[in-house]
Amino acid sequence: MPKEKKDSIFKAFKDTLMGFMIHSQVTSMLKMKTYTEYLFMIMTMGDMLGMPLLPPYYSLRLLPYMVPNIKSWKLRMLRDRDVTDIVVG
Amino acid sequence: MKIGIKYLFEKKPSIKVVIFAGKGGLGKTTCSAALSYQIAFNLKKKVLCFSTDPQASLSDIFERDLFGKGEISLAENLFVLEIDADKRIKDYVEETRKKIKEMYKIDEIPKEVEDYIESAAAEPAMYESAVYDAMLEVVTQAKYDYYIFDMPPFGHGIRMVAMADLLSKWVDKITEARRQAFEYEAAAAAMKRQKITEREDMMLKELEDIRNRIVSFRNLVVDPNGTAFIMVLIPEKMAILDTERAIKMFENLGLRVGGVVVNQVYPSWIIEDPKASEYLKRKVSSQKPLLKEIADKFGDMIVGLIPTYNKEPKGFEMLSKVAQELWESSFTIENLIGK
Repeated sequence: MPKEKKDSIFKAFKDTLMGFMIHSQVTSMLKMKTYTEYLFMIMTMGDMLGMPLLPPYYSLRLLPYMVPNIKSWKLRMLRDRDVTDIVVG
Repeated sequence: MKIGIKYLFEKKPSIKVVIFAGKGGLGKTTCSAALSYQIAFNLKKKVLCFSTDPQASLSDIFERDLFGKGEISLAENLFVLEIDADKRIKDYVEETRKKIKEMYKIDEIPKEVEDYIESAAAEPAMYESAVYDAMLEVVTQAKYDYYIFDMPPFGHGIRMVAMADLLSKWVDKITEARRQAFEYEAAAAAMKRQKITEREDMMLKELEDIRNRIVSFRNLVVDPNGTAFIMVLIPEKMAILDTERAIKMFENLGLRVGGVVVNQVYPSWIIEDPKASEYLKRKVSSQKPLLKEIADKFGDMIVGLIPTYNKEPKGFEMLSKVAQELWESSFTIENLIGK
């Protein structure tokens, strides 16, 4: 077996092992990040949801950085909730 | 007691910014233009006269179209800026659109973002923020020796001062939330051995800049050593009551009013003038108790007495007369009320 192939199999094995070990931690970190980000967006872009908390003059300066998250944030914030949400989260 | 802005400047030589405030139509713009004239022509110092009033009349007073034309030199040392806030907002909003398009390499802004931009641009608060931001910008550039501001009638700028503390604390909270999100993302990225995106750091920088701007504006307006906040009033009951209320309101906000200018005062010698009409004489004597009330209520705060002129104060020739009176009044309040 050529050396490169050996290395790549070894790397794939190492990554998979690492993935098993840290996947849940990474996911929970990213989940926390998303929640904090949503909170941040309420504080700055709240007027999109009818909560004007920061003067729009300043919100506009932050807007460009938030463009990719706006759609999912609005959907999450404005969706209907029911009892199953408590279970599912 | 001698009256004049001259004495205020002598008492506090560190004053570099003068803000004229008060109800609409009492002569704030005239005072701003006259003091700027005085500083440029007689003190020979470089001065910028800046109007933040949406119904600005600096163009009328200087008899030249200055609106939205940027900083214009009218004479040696005398510069005027009459801001077109609507245009400033339009440019600001356009800049946001451009930034989004460039950042994400898109030709069209997503609908939900465009909707937000449009509603933000139409907010009345946008106008105020844009004007005060411009005000801060010119002072920060430090191109002039003196800055004279003509503020819109009560409320707007003052609300900004009142809001500054609250806003800066709010921005601190926002920054904290941002930093937390950033930390979570950084931790996740480190675990995955990935690099964190630059956009996060930029956002913290923007937040810091926003906070600095809000705090700097508040500091500029309330600084008693560098800024004189002067109210303009006329000898009329309503104006006296409003000014009294405003001074109390400002003090509650930590803003010390540096002086009061009494405009449209009838010189008392008119009464002795045999050629003066009865109507005018009555007008002069009816003004006496009001001036007495002004003297009782504002006393040492009076820093200017401007007589009423038989011609509108427009153009350099008339302005020089007003400037002279504003700088060093030719009469005293005691002359007027007959003490």
